[in-house]
Amino acid sequence: MATLDGRRSQLLRGVLDLCLLAVIDEGPAYGYEMTKRLRARGMSIVGEGSIYPLLGRLERDGLVETRREASNGGPPRKYYSLSADGKRSLDGGVEEWKTARDAIDRALDLVKVEATP
Amino acid sequence: MSDFVEECRREWKRLGVPDPIANEMAIDLTADIEEAEAEGGSAEDVLGNSLFDPRRFAAAWASARGVTAPLASVDAIAPFERDRHPWFRPALVIVVAVFGFLTVLAAAALLVGRRGVSMAASIHRIVVLPGSGRLPGPGALLPPFHSFVSGPSFSFQNGAPFIGLLLVALLGGIALLGLAILYRSSLPQRPSRRRLR
Repeated sequence: MATLDGRRSQLLRGVLDLCLLAVIDEGPAYGYEMTKRLRARGMSIVGEGSIYPLLGRLERDGLVETRREASNGGPPRKYYSLSADGKRSLDGGVEEWKTARDAIDRALDLVKVEATP
Repeated sequence: MSDFVEECRREWKRLGVPDPIANEMAIDLTADIEEAEAEGGSAEDVLGNSLFDPRRFAAAWASARGVTAPLASVDAIAPFERDRHPWFRPALVIVVAVFGFLTVLAAAALLVGRRGVSMAASIHRIVVLPGSGRLPGPGALLPPFHSFVSGPSFSFQNGAPFIGLLLVALLGGIALLGLAILYRSSLPQRPSRRRLR
C-alpha cells in the first residue's frame, strides 16, 4: 500500500503539467516565478523534483512559447506563455480533471473517515 | 556559478548537448537559484529533490527539450552498459578471445601430452600440424619458442601436468585481472550524493 506521501507525489506528478499550464495562463512567467505561483496555491515542489524538465517538454510539444526579456539588473530571463495549443490542452485537461475528480469524490464520499488523534 | 550548475554543465557536455542550449539552461538555472537565495530561500526551493542528483536532473531536462536521446531509453540500459567507454566492448572481446584460445590450447596440450609427448610438441601438433598424424620432435619448433618450452621439465610425464594447470590458472587470473581493470577504468567518476549548493 502506498504511503500518504507517495500517493500525494503520484497525484501531483499526474497533474503537474496541467498546473503549470494554469499558472502560465495567469501571465507570462519564468521558471522560478512559476514555482512561486504554485507555492502560493499550496503546491510545494520540494520533494517532487523540479519543473524544468516539464517546461522543456511543454516547449517541445508546442504548448508554450518562449521569449527572453530583461530582468531587474540580472540576466535576461526566459518567459513562458501559453500557445494556442497550450490553451486548448489546458481547457481539455481541466475538464478531464473535473470529471475524474467528481467520479473519485463519489467513490470516496461513502467512506467515513475517523478522526486521527 | 554553483556546484550544482557546474555539475549539470559537465553532464550536458558528456551527453553532447549543443553549447548554446547548455549555456541557456545554465543561465536560466543560475538566475533562478540566485533569486531564490536573494529572497532568503535556497536552491532546494527551485529544484526540489533534484538538488541531490544533478546528473539525472540535467539528463532529464536535456531529454525533455529533445536535445538528447529520450531519458527512458538511457535508463533502460544497465548502469554498467551506460557508463562504459566506447572501446570497452572490443577490448573485452579481445581479452576473452585470447584467454579462450590460450585455455583451449593449454587444455589440448594437456590431453595430448598425457601420451608422453613434450608440451612443445603437443602445441606444435595442435597448432602447426593439424590432422597430419605425424608427431614432430621439439626440434621442429622455431627458436626462441623451441628453447622456451621444449625442455624436459615441460614434459607432461612425471607430474608435470601441474605445470599445465598452473599455466591455465595463471592465464585465467591475468584475464580476470584485465577484465577488472577494464571495468573499473570504464566507469566515469560519479558525483557523491552530498548536498550541492
